[in-house]
Amino acid sequence: MSDVAAVEVKNLVKNFKGPFRGKKVHAVRNVSLTIAPGEVYGLIGPNGSGKSTTMKAVLGLVAPSSGMCAIFGRNSTKVDSRSEVGFLPENPYFYKHLTGAETVRFYGKLCGMKGLELKHRVEEMLELVGLQDARDRRLKGYSKGMLQRIGLAQALVQDPKLVVLDEPTAGVDPVGSREIRDLILELKNRGITVFLCSHLLEQVQEICDRVGIIHQGVLVNEGRLDDLISLEDKTELILENATPELMDQIRTLVEVTHGAGVISEGRARTTLESLFLKETRSQTLRVRKKRKRVSK
Amino acid sequence: MSRPSPTSFFSFRRSLIIAQSTVTQLVRMKVFYFLAPIALLFLGLQFFDAFWYEGPEALMPEQELRMHKNLCLGTMMLFTSLFAIVSTALLIPGDIEDRTLYTILCKPVPRLDYLVGKLFGVIAVIFIAMLVMDVLLVATLHFRTEEKLIETTEYMTKIGYPEREIEAGRAEIAAHGPTLLLQFGVISHFLKACVIAAVALLISTFSTSTLFTIATSVMIWIIGAFQSIARDGLFNDAEFGDVPTWADKIVGTLVSLIFPDFLLYEAISDGAARAEDVLAMDMAQLGGLSALYIGIYVVLSWFVFSDKEF
Repeated sequence: MSDVAAVEVKNLVKNFKGPFRGKKVHAVRNVSLTIAPGEVYGLIGPNGSGKSTTMKAVLGLVAPSSGMCAIFGRNSTKVDSRSEVGFLPENPYFYKHLTGAETVRFYGKLCGMKGLELKHRVEEMLELVGLQDARDRRLKGYSKGMLQRIGLAQALVQDPKLVVLDEPTAGVDPVGSREIRDLILELKNRGITVFLCSHLLEQVQEICDRVGIIHQGVLVNEGRLDDLISLEDKTELILENATPELMDQIRTLVEVTHGAGVISEGRARTTLESLFLKETRSQTLRVRKKRKRVSK
Repeated sequence: MSRPSPTSFFSFRRSLIIAQSTVTQLVRMKVFYFLAPIALLFLGLQFFDAFWYEGPEALMPEQELRMHKNLCLGTMMLFTSLFAIVSTALLIPGDIEDRTLYTILCKPVPRLDYLVGKLFGVIAVIFIAMLVMDVLLVATLHFRTEEKLIETTEYMTKIGYPEREIEAGRAEIAAHGPTLLLQFGVISHFLKACVIAAVALLISTFSTSTLFTIATSVMIWIIGAFQSIARDGLFNDAEFGDVPTWADKIVGTLVSLIFPDFLLYEAISDGAARAEDVLAMDMAQLGGLSALYIGIYVVLSWFVFSDKEF
């Protein structure tokens, strides 16, 4: 792995002028962060906290008021820095007049790809995001989830080393959201660096190695996810098929240990997302079986 | 997989890719449907005879042909100029609003490539539309000229004109038919539309709305059409009897520098419609001037757009 950081943001400040020489808006205040190659980094924060502005500065869409951003050692304001980057904006809209395959081909051509290489890459990307069946449909007929997936395909078309995702699952249903999450994990396995920002904290927790929390333009906390969310003085124990006798023994053991205590006790819970996915998948399977029986 | 080569300052290939996508976009927006009423108009003109054709105030056949050419060229000018403004004004703000621009500029695409590509795309569509209208003009004018030739020959023979005069009359009418000279008029309107598209491109780089871009471009189009008349008034002492002041001269010079002089294009087009001699040199100069205008507006657009934040 190379020593050069995939993304380096140093003392980034971004101010926007108010209308009619009004008050300056401080969107980002002295943010510094580094993302190592192959890492999945999540930038989280409430609306208007400066997440998207930081991302745009990294991508060269806005110029820093002061400080600098670099991608693999190249200054973000230079066009060259973008040859290794794929970007999926929040709620992306592509040219509605193009089909899925045409869209991926168009972005591939912009990256200098052509001929058989491009042709194969378009097919590979459509397969990766599961849109082969919709390849010849115009984007105006795509659902939100499909648009998000074609957005990922265009972002990945030139085989970038860094993928920047702005709210990648915004407005996507739980199944589509899970598919996008799986795709991000697949990118991670391929060694691609992912820089994402999201409101969905649960999802960020599932996929990110490191997290930065930004609030009112200031990076208030940053670090490895495990370090940030683990509580030093608390331990969680999840048991399977525990009998009441075993529970009594554990409670007794805790009571006799100086300073230790049970804070809460109850049944382990699944997440609503997992429940939703389990139920919808089993329902789909039931319908399919029924259809098969009817057709026979 | 091979890594992309380093990004050049400007790539003609990348601009063509964006131009190709722009053409596809405009074609799929069904802009060529506008050609249908124009085709009907051109065909309708074919059956339109001036009602005072008979009698002492009768129009000469060549006058009728000139009227036909003027109407067709005027329609072509109006359509292509408005099309250049509206399509250019819609494309860039549309890309910004839809965030399509984000995904394009996040690829290794210099902003100049994007601007030039969009302009090329619009110009390509104007060229196709102009070509179709030109074919229609040539075809309708050809049939009308043939009709006038037959009518005139019959009429002159009937009242006993000598053969030599009949031939001279036929030659006069044929000169107002679909000649190469007429193409100079068509080309001048095409060049004018290209310059207008470049003006609209410049405005759309700093404008915040499509409506503002369209309104300002139309205003520049109108100012451009009359600026040389206004300059004559300011610079020519004899015109209004007053000696122009330095302020007048500065204003006049500034106006002539900022706004393109569209009267030059009209002069070529009118000359072509009147079947007067338009020199190839004049046409070449007009082409050079158009290239200069377009170049200046593209460079100015690039200056504005290169620092634009999204």
